[in-house]
Amino acid sequence: MKKTPSGEVVIVPRNFKLLEELEKSEKGHGDMAISFGLVDTGDTFLTEWNGGILGPPGTYHDSRFYQLRIHCPEKYPAVPPEVRFISKINMTAVDSKTGVVNEKKIPAMRNWSRNMGIEQVLQSIRAEMCSDQNRRLRQPAEGSTF
Amino acid sequence: MASSDGLPRRIVKETQRLIAEPVAGISATPYQDNLRYFAVAIEGPADSPYERGVFQLELFLPADYPMAPPKVRFLTKIYHPNVDKLGRICLDILKDKWSPALQIRTVLLSIQALLSAPNPDDPLDNTVAEVWKKNEAEAIRRAREFTESFAMKGGTTAASATASMPKKSC
Repeated sequence: MKKTPSGEVVIVPRNFKLLEELEKSEKGHGDMAISFGLVDTGDTFLTEWNGGILGPPGTYHDSRFYQLRIHCPEKYPAVPPEVRFISKINMTAVDSKTGVVNEKKIPAMRNWSRNMGIEQVLQSIRAEMCSDQNRRLRQPAEGSTF
Repeated sequence: MASSDGLPRRIVKETQRLIAEPVAGISATPYQDNLRYFAVAIEGPADSPYERGVFQLELFLPADYPMAPPKVRFLTKIYHPNVDKLGRICLDILKDKWSPALQIRTVLLSIQALLSAPNPDDPLDNTVAEVWKKNEAEAIRRAREFTESFAMKGGTTAASATASMPKKSC
């Protein structure tokens, strides 16, 4: 959200915001430990995304690559994206049966604002892997899925 | 309507004129809750493979408009060498050839003209452009087929694209 000198609040509509996020991700200038892209490159409404998180060093997640699925609902970015893990993970913010990420337990989702995006959510999930409750949790075999 | 407070005069004027003196074959309507965001429909030009199709687009005027160009893309699927699978358009005036003297109206006219004169030498979708260059008759046949499937009444996507377009933008 941007405010012009005249005091107008400029709201970037959902689809154009998601296009910006896609283009930034494709250029790859951002954080190398996370990645995301459209599931179907012709998805006009940019709804379904694949995500990836590289486990942070110094934790039991070190060097693991986690695959996620991200759903941007119609109301996005008024509401955060819905995220679930495809790769199996043992983590306090993640439902142990479905892999669904509990938005109340991820700071970027809990304190969501429309200036944030998929990138911030993935970074926040990755940061959570380093928390005291999560860094030393025993993990399922690598490569298993929900 | 918070988003209309302080809307630049230039945008107000352009919008009024678009509604008062619409361009033939083009409609542009701002969303009630975001006056910088427009639902656009462009009729496929006669004597083009897009003839009789109605193409839905969306257009947004960023904060730095008119110093920066509008953002615009197709929502209706279209087979065209200068439009990619996400509906993004390769058109010089939307990029480096933009000038603040241009308007929403001129941009939409240029897009309509692009439908009459595809430019496969400056492609956005390489696979489409290749067909266009190697076998133009086949490309035109495919473009017609897309028009019939997606851009005509009774076609699936044009209608459902409008239906699933967020009524509110936020």
